[in-house]
Amino acid sequence: MGDNISRLLADHGPAFWQALLLTWKLTALSFVPGVVLGAAVAALRLFPLPPLRGFLTFYVEVFRNIPSVALLIFIVFALPDLEFVIDYEPSVVLTLILVCSAFTADYLRSGINTIPSGQIEAALSLGMRPARIIYSVVLPQALRSVVQPMTSLLIALMLSTSLASQVPMPGRELTALVSKLANDSAAGMAAFAVAAAMYVATGLLIAWAGAALDKKVRILR
Amino acid sequence: MSRSLEDTLFGAPSPRARTITQVVSVIAAGLLLLLAAGIAYRFHSAGQLEGRLWQFFAWPTTWAFLAKGLLGTLQSAAMGAAIALALGLVMMAGRLARPRILRWPSIAAIEFLRGTPTLLLIYLCFLVLPSAGIKLSTYWMLTLPIALSTAAVVAEVYRAGVLAVPRGQTEAARSLGLTETQVFFTIVFPQALRYIVPALVAQLVIVVKDTTFGYVVTYGELMQNAKVLIANYHSLVPVYLVVAAVYCLVNYGISRASRWLGRPVH
Repeated sequence: MGDNISRLLADHGPAFWQALLLTWKLTALSFVPGVVLGAAVAALRLFPLPPLRGFLTFYVEVFRNIPSVALLIFIVFALPDLEFVIDYEPSVVLTLILVCSAFTADYLRSGINTIPSGQIEAALSLGMRPARIIYSVVLPQALRSVVQPMTSLLIALMLSTSLASQVPMPGRELTALVSKLANDSAAGMAAFAVAAAMYVATGLLIAWAGAALDKKVRILR
Repeated sequence: MSRSLEDTLFGAPSPRARTITQVVSVIAAGLLLLLAAGIAYRFHSAGQLEGRLWQFFAWPTTWAFLAKGLLGTLQSAAMGAAIALALGLVMMAGRLARPRILRWPSIAAIEFLRGTPTLLLIYLCFLVLPSAGIKLSTYWMLTLPIALSTAAVVAEVYRAGVLAVPRGQTEAARSLGLTETQVFFTIVFPQALRYIVPALVAQLVIVVKDTTFGYVVTYGELMQNAKVLIANYHSLVPVYLVVAAVYCLVNYGISRASRWLGRPVH
């Protein structure tokens, strides 16, 4: 097994490196906009506007509950029939952004629930307007209290980039690379081991960074 | 029960604020209707509302075929969840065991299975294992990877639950002369289960989502059957829309059940 892995890395080392970088890139490209969108959704859901609230609740429930692959397949294969053509890589990123934003909005909602109402009353009595309170009192504290679930979400998102292997993207991320190597050669097992090690290492790195960040910013109540 | 944050924020609106809220509500509703109309128009102009693309949904055979797919999804999900619940318990026991020879391999197995995409594990069973002479049926090629990766997550959920049980419970049980096994199974674990049932049910949503990969190994689940329908009737958008709606409803039901189980009991 060790021999197989070293031979594989000698032959395909750069390919694995590129695949890992692509996995990281897809993760980052979908996480950052996903969190921003999710925060916006969570904030807008607070306003007493029933039609908007209803729509955003629908949005969150749909993208929280739809399997990511089903969403990706819809975006890639069904949207062109509706005359929306999106390239493969943006389709993967869009899928993950939508899913990430729904979960972010949901987690932020529970983060918002941890804020004592006395803070809101205090801010109101200082004469702050509700929108200002949401922006400068509610959201910062909510964000600080959801570092742990967001870390899990980021890891789940990183693992979900494997669904890019389901569309014919020009670049190959880790899972697509393994499936290609397993199809073409007998190096499947070694390729699987290397890719799995890369995924696990990335996940542990994110978990470690998340724990450090949480320790730093968590509000003890 | 304290007031929700929204009520505190917008609880006592002035007449002016009330008017503004109403006006903005109406505008928002108008924009959302406009969006819906835009989508409907796009469907129409792309010819996706034509009867021939939808008519087979009036036939019972279509629904029977989709129901068969959903049954395949649920069979795989149920078996995956059952294995995960049992195996997760074993992994958790290993993870909490004192001897390092039990603990370290359990940690390694949990981190490996949790940190690897389920899809990669499916490819392992689908592409790699056959070349090593291990041939699984399509059902197991899908269910086994799902069961393994879920088991690792479930093991961590169990562990969180067990650690959340106050230590005094264990100490009291020990001082009554119960053996370690009795302490765990009659005192600690039943209480831990109460904490974690919502999280376990929520995990079921992820299991159902993962079965969507069934089409990769051509196991007859909902997504795979949807692809067959599309090939037969050349009706892509309607079939994918219906299937997505079915997935959403099933998972929404499970999420609601999880929330209901996790409601505070007074």
